[in-house]
Amino acid sequence: MISNPDDLQQWRLPRGRHGLPRELVERSQRERLLAAVVKTTVAKGYESTTVADILGEAGVGRETFYELFDDKLDCMLSAEQILLDSLEQRLREVYISSAPWPQRVREGLQATLEWFAADPEVARFLLIELSTIGPDFHAVFRAQYARFTGLFEDGLDAGAPSPELSQATRLGVSALLARLYEEVVLGRAAELPRLLPDVTYDFLVPFVGEEEARAEQQRATA
Amino acid sequence: MQKHRSSETTGDLLRLSTPVEIARHGQRQRILDAMIECSAEKTYAATTITDIVARARISRTTFYKHFADKRACFDAAVEQCIEELQQVASAALAPTDPPAEAVRKGATAVVGALAARPGLAQLLTGDAIAVDPMVIERYRRATIPALEAVWEQEGSAPEPHTDPRLAFGQAQVLILNQIATGKADKLPELLPEIVYLAVGPYGGHEKALEQSRRAREAAAPGTASE
Repeated sequence: MISNPDDLQQWRLPRGRHGLPRELVERSQRERLLAAVVKTTVAKGYESTTVADILGEAGVGRETFYELFDDKLDCMLSAEQILLDSLEQRLREVYISSAPWPQRVREGLQATLEWFAADPEVARFLLIELSTIGPDFHAVFRAQYARFTGLFEDGLDAGAPSPELSQATRLGVSALLARLYEEVVLGRAAELPRLLPDVTYDFLVPFVGEEEARAEQQRATA
Repeated sequence: MQKHRSSETTGDLLRLSTPVEIARHGQRQRILDAMIECSAEKTYAATTITDIVARARISRTTFYKHFADKRACFDAAVEQCIEELQQVASAALAPTDPPAEAVRKGATAVVGALAARPGLAQLLTGDAIAVDPMVIERYRRATIPALEAVWEQEGSAPEPHTDPRLAFGQAQVLILNQIATGKADKLPELLPEIVYLAVGPYGGHEKALEQSRRAREAAAPGTASE
């Protein structure tokens, strides 16, 4: 399918602001395969995607594929890992700082929404296609949910009173995830950033109550 | 919380007259149960018709008499789960309960029912997401008006503080995580959060916290003030 090596330039993994260094985006065979598994599973669905489809998309030989990955699932999970590593890195950059906590939450949410909006295909891959891989999905979900819940907890103000609900962070991350999922299902990933005021409010309410959450929501609107 | 829809199970049973019809009904129910159990064990994606017919102890031909395919069977199972949970919720509350209390009781009962049958929880969270996101929209459409109706008892429904659809999604994420961490049987651990989510959209943060506190106290008396 791909004969001209110049064509490969369009099969780069992250478009937009994923925070990946340029070298990573260069077309090493591994990167090409990771980009291809995102593209083909989003287009055809995980179940219908074959290793041959991925190879065709990436312009990489079968032997190379099996040197790098055990199988289709392994390739898919490697793409998932590298993408979410870059999201985590981006989120840490803005969220872990000395600014007031509600502001850091708002900025972290903004970075997350923009990250997903920058590449709707990646958004669809992470939020929808991954859930169709079968029994392994539980382990994937568990790990990533714990990763991002942990990240938000790491950045909580040490001195602030703890919220009455012991799982307030999970509620916040769940609000973000539920909103992301909904928009991506409806094919509106590119418009995610406009949700920032609402997501900010939803995330903060269980921690700080309606009034303070409303104030931060206003700042997100501005 | 809907009062006028009788369960498919009991409703149909009353209308059945011939032994053949009764047998058929039993078969259908066995297939649905098998679907729920298989999905709980290995997810919908990995479940095959062969798994379902083996567990339901029926023939493949019989399966296809009731359902066009695996997906149709899944949809019927989801629908039945939702009806079941709505009945559980409405049975838990008294018509005289103030709305926030009624919602707490309903949510508590639903969490209890899900904990007793983790297969239902798996079907309604992980599998629904994977199979077809629109399934979620369908059951949200059935559930949210019922929730609204509880608040209408006080007159007109209050302006929502937050989107009830979002609360629904949040509850799903929490439950999915509980299942994914292998603690489906310990769903009641999530009760304070689920009650908070259920009361919040129409009751607001303060009322939601208050009901959440009461749910926690009821679950573990004397430890709530910690």
